[in-house]
Amino acid sequence: MSAVTNPGTRQASDAGAGGPLLEVTDLAVEFRTPDGVVRAVDGLSYRVEAGRTLAIVGESGSGKSVSSLAVLGLLPDTARVTRGSVRLAGTDLLTLSRKAHRARCGDQVAMVFQDALAALNPVHTVGYQLTEALRARQGLSRGDARRRAVELLDLVKVPNAKARVKEYPHQFSGGMRQRVMIASALAMDPDVLIADEPTTALDVTVQAQVLRLLAEIQAERQMGLVLITHDLGVVAGVADDVTVMYAGRAVEQAPVAPTYTTPAHPYTRALLRSIPSASGTGRLPVIPGRPPSPAAMPSGCPFHPRCDAVRDICRTEVPPLATPAEGRTSACHFAEDIMAGHDPAPDAAAADAPAPNDGPNNGGGDHE
Amino acid sequence: MGRYIVRRLAQAVGTLLLVMFVLHLLTTVAIQLNGTPAQAFFGDRVASPAQIASVERRFNLDDPCFDQPGNPCLGPFVERLGQYARGDLGTNLRGREVTDIVAAAAPNTLRLFSVVLVTWLALGMLLGSAAARWRGSPGDHGIRLSSVLIDAFPVFVLLVVYRYVVAVPLNRWSEQTFGENSWPPYWFKPSFDPSHPWATIVVPGILLGLAGSAAFIRLVRASQLESYQGDHVRTARSKGLGERHVILHHVVRNSSVPVVTAIGLAFVEGLGGAVITEGIMNIYGIGGVLWQAVQDDDVALVIAVVTLLTVVTVLVMIIVDIVYALLDPRIRYE
Repeated sequence: MSAVTNPGTRQASDAGAGGPLLEVTDLAVEFRTPDGVVRAVDGLSYRVEAGRTLAIVGESGSGKSVSSLAVLGLLPDTARVTRGSVRLAGTDLLTLSRKAHRARCGDQVAMVFQDALAALNPVHTVGYQLTEALRARQGLSRGDARRRAVELLDLVKVPNAKARVKEYPHQFSGGMRQRVMIASALAMDPDVLIADEPTTALDVTVQAQVLRLLAEIQAERQMGLVLITHDLGVVAGVADDVTVMYAGRAVEQAPVAPTYTTPAHPYTRALLRSIPSASGTGRLPVIPGRPPSPAAMPSGCPFHPRCDAVRDICRTEVPPLATPAEGRTSACHFAEDIMAGHDPAPDAAAADAPAPNDGPNNGGGDHE
Repeated sequence: MGRYIVRRLAQAVGTLLLVMFVLHLLTTVAIQLNGTPAQAFFGDRVASPAQIASVERRFNLDDPCFDQPGNPCLGPFVERLGQYARGDLGTNLRGREVTDIVAAAAPNTLRLFSVVLVTWLALGMLLGSAAARWRGSPGDHGIRLSSVLIDAFPVFVLLVVYRYVVAVPLNRWSEQTFGENSWPPYWFKPSFDPSHPWATIVVPGILLGLAGSAAFIRLVRASQLESYQGDHVRTARSKGLGERHVILHHVVRNSSVPVVTAIGLAFVEGLGGAVITEGIMNIYGIGGVLWQAVQDDDVALVIAVVTLLTVVTVLVMIIVDIVYALLDPRIRYE
């Protein structure tokens, strides 16, 4: 690990091999809105180890981006962390002062943002932005900074790096710009990299290239990588573990392979079904309805109004994050049934109802 | 970048010629409808036709086209262009060289303008940045409220109140406190003193700058707020950069483009303010010269001064455009 030369990461190496680099526990984030306080993230926990990739998957509004902004202390003024801890190499970032928290960003944990055109500053050269932190924080000289900028662009395979460091973000194509974004996050050799939908704004072919690049760099540097995405399809080839989020909570957490073969939550199952396949014929199954607004959460399980295996208990009781099998967690009352590949036994009372989620007592309240 | 500057210069020459031509047409029509301004030369005395004719000859007003309403009088226009091109701005009605008049008056106007600009930038950048930084705080509300209050007082109200209500007591008080030959009494002198041009111009300049800064404060605040919301600011913070570095290099730097544009516009606005300020505070400057020339029907002087002001304005606009391109690379490479 080349990062040991960096004094800021000393604790990371002390934590020892195998221990989690980043451990988020029971994180909850609330937003003040004109409609009152809404909870965007509710009790999220995850851990990332060196050299491993965790994918956080969810629809927009599921809290996946907000939780990573909380890790970096970049939440907007209207948001606040109400409970939980974010331990980075053993230190709880949330107990630090804002300044001390900020000081760990960049060199211990760095972030790649979604829309590189907006996330890069249009009025500074790419070279300046790549090494800005090195110059301001580590006092790198101008010449060294330029050399380092060229190295970084080479690292992310931007051709003709020497000339391109003098150019501005708008002179780069979308894919190249995203590479610049990645290079800028790598500038201080972070232990953990959080990539927030790094490929969403890109063409499909470019998406694959950028993902492959991220995976290569991650493997080479033995970084912990958190890959945030709404596309379960991109996860399979890159990630080791998956956390599926729905309405601010983790609904399923497991290694990638078993998640794909035997999902333990109806939401994951529905997401997997809605990935288009090349051989697929006929209609692509979609998940009916929309994710609930955090201001108007349904009773019971937040997913029940859209669930195709809903039972009475789902409408009244919030399922805890349970462990239906070794290494698997799922927030579903019927996780074992779903894993086994069949729907849970019908409710005794509603056995003769035509369809499980079509009954008149659909407890979704104000949801369609 | 070179091409950009050349293009802007060419546009500037075009603008200048157009302004001069419109100015010429307006004065020509005025002469054609109101009769020869040569009479103004004689004041209340009745001049003989021979005397009038000789004055008309001297000021290039003898062309018969001035007696034919609707005739654009291109001949005298081209003649004037040639004269200006040689650096000869002609004379005023009293026979004084316009270049001498400008040389005497321009330094005072430049002094006034530099005080105005410094006030403007200092107040606008400091208060605007503070309001944006602590948005929604009592300070922000206070700054916005006072900027609206300043807007409610036009510059001539500020100046008249200052001159007739505030300046004299302050001047007397500072004479007693600091002695007659110290600086403070000059600062609060109610009118301009050519022997102390800087000291007596500071307060009027600050007042004129204050009046203009109100809108500027709000503009700085708005453009910085927009930058604070920008994703690139979040990126800069995610690199662990200190808040001061982020504000300087990513907020202030990015919001400098609209601010520079506003400075160009304010300069033009300031020319109008300078006429009023110089008039009320008895400053011998370009604004005062122009005002007097208009009252005296001194056509040659009006045209010469307005042409000079146009040249300056167009130059300022070019500088603004160049700075604009330097600040925003997306414009430079278009």
